[in-house]
Amino acid sequence: MAASISGYTFSSLCYHSANSNSDHEGFLLGEVRQEETFSISDSQISSTEFLQVLEIHNHEPCSQLFSFYDYAGKVNEENLKRILKERRKNVIGWYRFRRNTQEQMSFREQIIHKQLTHILGVPDLVFLLFSFISTANNSTHALEYVLFRPNRKYNQRVSLTIPNLGNTSQQEYKVSSVPNTSWNYAMVIKEQGAEFFDKDGVMKDIRTIFQVYNALQDKVQAVCGEVEQSERLKETFQEEVNKLKKQIALRKSEKEEERRLSQVPEEHKNTYLAYNSRVVCPGNAAEEYSLENQDTSETPPPYSEVIPLDSTADSQETSTAYLPRPQAVGSSNYAPPSLGAAKFSGNGDGSSTDSSQGTSGSGVVAQLAQEEEEEDEEEEEEEDDDEDSSEYENLANEPSESSDSEFSQLAEGRPASLRPDGDSRNSQASRI
Amino acid sequence: MAVNAVHLESDAFLVCMNHALSTEKEEVMGLCIGEVDTDKIVHIHSVIILRRSDKRKDRVEISPEQLLAEMTGRPMRVVGWYHSHPHITVWPSHVDVRTQAMYQMMDQGFVGLIFSCFIEDKNTKTGRVLYTCFQSVQAQKGSEYERIEIPIHVVPHETIGKVCLESAVELPKILCQEEQDAYRRIHSLAHLDPITKIHNGSVFTKNLCSQMSAISGPLLQWLEDKVEQNKQTIAELQLEKERLVLELTDLD
Repeated sequence: MAASISGYTFSSLCYHSANSNSDHEGFLLGEVRQEETFSISDSQISSTEFLQVLEIHNHEPCSQLFSFYDYAGKVNEENLKRILKERRKNVIGWYRFRRNTQEQMSFREQIIHKQLTHILGVPDLVFLLFSFISTANNSTHALEYVLFRPNRKYNQRVSLTIPNLGNTSQQEYKVSSVPNTSWNYAMVIKEQGAEFFDKDGVMKDIRTIFQVYNALQDKVQAVCGEVEQSERLKETFQEEVNKLKKQIALRKSEKEEERRLSQVPEEHKNTYLAYNSRVVCPGNAAEEYSLENQDTSETPPPYSEVIPLDSTADSQETSTAYLPRPQAVGSSNYAPPSLGAAKFSGNGDGSSTDSSQGTSGSGVVAQLAQEEEEEDEEEEEEEDDDEDSSEYENLANEPSESSDSEFSQLAEGRPASLRPDGDSRNSQASRI
Repeated sequence: MAVNAVHLESDAFLVCMNHALSTEKEEVMGLCIGEVDTDKIVHIHSVIILRRSDKRKDRVEISPEQLLAEMTGRPMRVVGWYHSHPHITVWPSHVDVRTQAMYQMMDQGFVGLIFSCFIEDKNTKTGRVLYTCFQSVQAQKGSEYERIEIPIHVVPHETIGKVCLESAVELPKILCQEEQDAYRRIHSLAHLDPITKIHNGSVFTKNLCSQMSAISGPLLQWLEDKVEQNKQTIAELQLEKERLVLELTDLD
């Protein structure tokens, strides 16, 4: 069996995977053909072989994990139908992207695959597995991919080729003609060959193919314009949805606070309010434990909310909402100081390895209280993702996060560098 | 150190991948556009696909004039370069390291990215795509340059930026221009007989056809699929927005 995927579809898969902070999965659409290959050998006059050719045309990314199956791996046909709609008949396989895992199908993937084979009615359904791995200092990353045919007993792995421009070499132009003094030859090719050229001496074929090319390029530009418009529209809607979610969360917390206040008996109300407005910690002088933090503990804020308003970096405008995603190998302590107090907590697998997080969790210094509250939110988010991708298998030789690069040393002192005012008290506290 | 890390936006990463996967017979290259912040982190927001002045397999430099021409007239500045290593290890060659050192003389913060692709382990049928980021340092005074590793992260970017889309659709144009130039060079040779001219014209036609079927066609398909996908997503977002509006009004 031969399988191929276009470079653009492959890149798109990489793009969607890079955008997801957990595992990513989706469906592969395309077609399977039988191709006959003829071969002649000394032993036989001719032999025909049938080669199965699998072409992946497109992919349908799932917006989240567990969208068509549950934790037990049971596939929900209704959800599947809703996700695929009329593209269902084009499904030839599905794919999964995981970080730092082995190139084997997990148990859940196997049982899902069996069900999909049956439900979709594709006997030779394929499974494309992507595994992402990085070096300890994050300077080099590898994306490995294997195409499986799990329904077969033998030859379960299939080579996946990416057709490309390949061998269109310009060396094929001839710079000189084969020397020939034959008068007849020159006469015939001049007379008959004239058919190929127009009155300007330009080959007609060239003009024609150029027209085809131009028409195609015009279409490419036109559809590109459509894509651009739809991307901007998508952006706008996404922003509106995010804004609404924030408003709802705010409103909910306001209501919750009102409800709590109404329950507290009158004489205790003042004490209650005073208690809530100050954290009870030794050595605390300044920071107030704001009520906002209670709100964030219920609904983890998106990354963009974690950044305080007094952050100075210019790059804020373009990349506030987007932090480098936690990767399980070696990037644990990496924090992007450029995003002000933006947090980057822990490993991709949700475990907290940063010592500062652990020790400051007790809230020894008040200024850390707010910071660590927000860090806990991020931890929560990460852990949720980890539950979703419970077949995350960390490699045994996972490099420790305390790599010797200057870069991670910067990250070790993270609490100090995160605060725009660079309060040294924070870093000291974190080392306790 | 002049650079602490590189943040490559995922839509710029997408264009790099498109470009690197466009051919397995040659190294392709381009420039990285973005900015450097006060914490010495290089943010790459988009890339520009370049024409190669030298098509030889192992050479990927561009002339300084080309570099300067690309640098002016752009809203952001050039912060680095990338090139591909098809079938080859991801590590920069001696030539790459020297080229990078030369660029660093103009700009200390200039970074180099390499994408290695079309790698397959025949035994395990595992395909691999790698990318790395590096700069050059002189080990000792007067000695050869060697590479230093720079951490690089692909930063999520949920939508594809306008500049990235424009860069992506430049590729077929650039390929066609290169082909036209090559054809013009031999077409001007007067001593060729008609058969040879027909042959050369056919080579041009053949090459352009290859470009259309290998690049323009799949590109157009991807763009069309994206429009469809986006329509879907936008419809879902609209529904969600309506649901959220209702929820908000219920709360009030």
